[in-house]
Amino acid sequence: MKTPPFKFHRPRSIEEAVSIASELKNNQKTFDWISGGTDLLPNYKWHINPKQHVISLAKIAEMKNLDSHHIGAMVNLHELENGPNHPLIRKAAGTIASTLIRRSGTVGGNLCLDTRCFWFNQTEDWRRSIDWCHKCDCDTDADCRVIPNQNTLCVATYQGDLAPCLMVLGARIHLAGPEGKRSMNLDEFYALDGMKRNVLEIGEFVTHVSLPIESDELEGDYQKLRLRESWDFPEAGVAASWKRNDSGIEQLYVATTACESIPRLHSEEANEALNGWNGQESAKILAEKIRKAVKPVNNTYFPPAYRRKMLRVLTKRALAGSWSDE
Amino acid sequence: MGKGYRQAPGKKGKSRTDGKRIAGKQDFGVPGSGGSNPYSNLQDIDRIPASQGGQLEQPRGPHVHDPHITGQTIGKSTPLVDSRWKVTGQAEYGDDIRLPNELFGKILRSPHHYARINSIDTSAAEALPGVKAVATGMDSVNRFGVLPVTKDEHAMAQEKVRHVGDLVACVAADSEEAAIEALSLIKVDYEVLEAIHDMEDGLLDSKDPIHDRGKYHIGDSNVQKRVFQQFGHTDAMRQAKYQSKSDWSFAGLHHGFTEPHAVVAHWDPNGRLQLYTPQQVPHYVHRALSSVLDIPMHQINVIRTFVGGGFGGKSDPFPHEMCAAILSRKSGRPVRINFDREEVYWVNRGRHPSRIQMEVFADEKGRIAGIETDALIDGGGFASFGHVTTYYNGVLHTSPYEIGGFHYTGARVWTNKPASGAMRGHGAVNSRCAVEVAIDDVCEQMGVDPMTFRLANLLPPHSRTITGFRITSTGMRECLDEVRKQSDWDDKFRKLPFGRGIGVGCGFFISGSGLPIHWDPENFPHATVHLQCDMDGGVTVHTGAADIGQGSDTAVAQAVSEVLALPLDMIRIRSRESDTAPVDLGSYSSRVTFMNCNAAIRAAIEMRDKVLKAAWEITGYHPDSLVLGDRRIYYKRDPAIGISWLEAVHKAQADTGSLISSGAYRTPPMGGIHKGAAAGLAPAYSFSAYVAEVEVDPETGFVRIIKAWAAHDCGKALNPLAVEGQIIGSCHMGMGQVLSEEMRYGRTGHLLNPDLLDYKIMSVHEMPEVVPIIVESNDPEGPFGAKEAGEGPLLPILPAVVNAIYDAIGVRINELPVSPDRLHSRIEKKCRKMKIDDPMDLPNPKFEPAPLQDELARRAEEHSERDLQRDLLKDRSAYVNGVLFGFDPDLPLHEQSEGWRESVTPTPEDLADDSKRAARAWNHVERRYRGENA
Repeated sequence: MKTPPFKFHRPRSIEEAVSIASELKNNQKTFDWISGGTDLLPNYKWHINPKQHVISLAKIAEMKNLDSHHIGAMVNLHELENGPNHPLIRKAAGTIASTLIRRSGTVGGNLCLDTRCFWFNQTEDWRRSIDWCHKCDCDTDADCRVIPNQNTLCVATYQGDLAPCLMVLGARIHLAGPEGKRSMNLDEFYALDGMKRNVLEIGEFVTHVSLPIESDELEGDYQKLRLRESWDFPEAGVAASWKRNDSGIEQLYVATTACESIPRLHSEEANEALNGWNGQESAKILAEKIRKAVKPVNNTYFPPAYRRKMLRVLTKRALAGSWSDE
Repeated sequence: MGKGYRQAPGKKGKSRTDGKRIAGKQDFGVPGSGGSNPYSNLQDIDRIPASQGGQLEQPRGPHVHDPHITGQTIGKSTPLVDSRWKVTGQAEYGDDIRLPNELFGKILRSPHHYARINSIDTSAAEALPGVKAVATGMDSVNRFGVLPVTKDEHAMAQEKVRHVGDLVACVAADSEEAAIEALSLIKVDYEVLEAIHDMEDGLLDSKDPIHDRGKYHIGDSNVQKRVFQQFGHTDAMRQAKYQSKSDWSFAGLHHGFTEPHAVVAHWDPNGRLQLYTPQQVPHYVHRALSSVLDIPMHQINVIRTFVGGGFGGKSDPFPHEMCAAILSRKSGRPVRINFDREEVYWVNRGRHPSRIQMEVFADEKGRIAGIETDALIDGGGFASFGHVTTYYNGVLHTSPYEIGGFHYTGARVWTNKPASGAMRGHGAVNSRCAVEVAIDDVCEQMGVDPMTFRLANLLPPHSRTITGFRITSTGMRECLDEVRKQSDWDDKFRKLPFGRGIGVGCGFFISGSGLPIHWDPENFPHATVHLQCDMDGGVTVHTGAADIGQGSDTAVAQAVSEVLALPLDMIRIRSRESDTAPVDLGSYSSRVTFMNCNAAIRAAIEMRDKVLKAAWEITGYHPDSLVLGDRRIYYKRDPAIGISWLEAVHKAQADTGSLISSGAYRTPPMGGIHKGAAAGLAPAYSFSAYVAEVEVDPETGFVRIIKAWAAHDCGKALNPLAVEGQIIGSCHMGMGQVLSEEMRYGRTGHLLNPDLLDYKIMSVHEMPEVVPIIVESNDPEGPFGAKEAGEGPLLPILPAVVNAIYDAIGVRINELPVSPDRLHSRIEKKCRKMKIDDPMDLPNPKFEPAPLQDELARRAEEHSERDLQRDLLKDRSAYVNGVLFGFDPDLPLHEQSEGWRESVTPTPEDLADDSKRAARAWNHVERRYRGENA
């Protein structure tokens, strides 16, 4: 295993990062952003879509700011776990990978995590033996290996934990790039396709995430499925948040992750369930709707049918706090 | 008698030599009370058997090595002698070897499952700057393999590649980058052949069998080995009242050792090959290199580096070792090849994926009427240890129980996967799991406690199994008693709340293979150890036993230290180089402690005799009346009279210089005479019983092991710390197999998880508390009574967990690993069958004892007394498997009953059941050469 050579850039400000990216873009050079490197470097070692240039965001101090409603993209997951943020975020951060990885991995990196697939996250020799795949075709126009006979859509799975939790708290994501800065709701950030993954344009990157003040009033929970309590990526994840009132709950948000190419906020299903909410029974119906709404494919450790069924269990468990008196 | 050596105070010149210092009564204190030497410690008489004047209570019968116990190190927890090297990072593993001017070697591997190589063009690679050598299969056409009967490997592919990752060519270059680039320049023209992925397809005739082996070709199929064994009343057993039948499927496993393979080859200036490799069996590499390179063995020196975990996965001679040697010969420079993790999986040699049909029969008296097993195992692309594995899948589950009949059909097939081989618990693990779970099922039908049932059906000490294995010591009963007591079994079995469960499993494993692989036991011993002692008084041990982390260096040091009563730091081990070490057959089949320590004890006794003779000359006391204490030799009846170790050693060296001695061990003649009788034959067997308590989440299918009680009979714990480490480590590995580890092949036959992220080895979060319980049965033949503790402890945890899952939620599993998705689908199935919506509403299994329960408890009680008498050698009558069924042990069993069978060649009726998979291997006619008329 040998990382292919690349030119390494270390800007000290967001502006400098944008200008390096613009220049590379104008010169038709390919590049990747790197923050903690826990996702990118293993892929590079396996020669998965390596680029000639890599721009590190590690030296940009302002991206490391962390307070209760502002999370810089370069905040690492360990800091987030022990930070001043909503308990739901802290809980989710604490379940990601392992302690060692959390010390390097960042919020921005987790949100922009590359999608994963059995046929893709393999060494070069291995991928040669399957004649490559759509996501890293090495100029062969290779087909998708999960769902053959379609080479238009990549179905690799997004396996990040933070995104659904931030979604149910109403987070906004802030981007910077050659065309200026912009921001959007987190659920609008992701775009269906395992290769494109999100709305980031070439040269654009995530600077921070912000949370509305109202999110403080929300309670929530995050449940994830994985074989081991350490290292493993989630095989399915459900985040839920709700706002209590005297008679029950008046707001309800549910988001899922690790089942499709993007995390997904299930506003429609949640609103339907909220209408005439009666606790456990409604949760059960909602859980079934979530199961039906999400369509995992066979490209991660657990078979898709099991992951879907577990979504139902995880949804019920994530919502359990909304009717108990804790 | 020389001057100045005498230490008896207040004496001059001649004195009495009859062993009495002063006539009359005198209290001499305990042996080894130090005498006049202030540096001498009190001897540890707690660890000397009562029979030798110490205070150690002898738990079992007398033992041959008792007179040589000095209380120095045996039975004391001792950190491994090389542990400081490892924890300070100074141990040199394969990857740490750096030779001047070395080249990087890289291997080109097959991207196809199965293909014919039409041509290889290496010219572009050779022309690349920095490339010093390129080699292909044509550079060495000689075959090798770990077993002499199944040599089917080459350094690199000859005409066919047999699995993805099979070796095609290799290059050596100045830099890793150049080597990698050179690989991409090698042009190989493949003709893809039809690959076989499913093991059942391997039983069928094939247009292109994976191996075309001259003789012993079984039809045109891919059957590599087939075994049939039938013993006892096989007809009667099928009529038994209680029957359990299950069809198991076991995923393939990898050892998951920490250190990927690495090798450095160097042709030294004298033209000899120096090969540095982390190997379990350096001697076989030595032999294989000689034949592959076509040079005599004396021109090769195999140097074993520190081994970062083996578990059986480094016990074959490997093609990459040959590649490094070939590249080094071609380039004239040292060549290093380091593996990526993925390459480790491609070399594999892990546990065989298996499909096992297991039937256990029990009669109305609560006896095991018989076991019928059919095991089809998937060998992957090469034979490796498969010949043996095929036998082990059958013969190693005929004990520890007394059984009425045994019918075994086994077959191993070649498929286009990385080769399976030997892995901790070699061949015994899967079928053991199946048989122990079936026993649990039979007990459920009978209404008896599985613990009682097992206790009432054990073979006693000094007996013979149905296939003719010689059982000497057995601590099986004590193991079961201990785990039953410590786990509160009687209060928990079938009494825990729904979702919680407890289960038991037993194990039985060889302690050293009686028939060595590459050897002639008639002429050569199994193990040889040389000792050397010079002016400094320390003892250097030369042994070829490969320390792979299991602690063989420590064990052999302990054995020498014990006999010579020297502290451990005065013993130095040289076990790394074939140039200086006597031949050892390698670290496999749990043989090293048993055989190598036995050899070491003999060598130490020889040295002890020499030193005592010198002490005799100095002190005038006969060696029989001299005692070795801590670096001191003194008179038995008066410890004050004695000389130091160094004085005695110097005296002994007076005429000869350095003291040397040699010891060897060979197993006694044992076992039956039928074909395959030697498979599974061992000078002693280890026994174990585990109880596991689990928690099952019925909604998700997740299983969490709460606690495990693990009792293992290792004969005598030479080093309890190491034994406990082995027990806990085995539990971790076994729990991985039962809950999460598997080599997963996708729909296209590709190995999907050749990495440590998706090959799920349990993390510290999943590892429960394991209570290691050491049971000592003091084996008559083991070194100081010891037997193995490295592999056997793995076996029982699998069935214990599976049985506990049943106790928790009432669902029986027949597929490993019990990953959450698999268990969940079983739970769903059961819910559908019982028409239950919520899995939380499933019934909790109940236990209502039948009248048989009391009867079995009584029998267990009687057998317990019987075993004790036999153990203490008070009862010396013969005992063979069958006595429980009313046979006379002194007469051949087949003469006593017409139905009794002993055959290893099947008749058509024996194979009538066509649902059995491995039995289908007999549909083919064996022939000497393929293509001839059968």
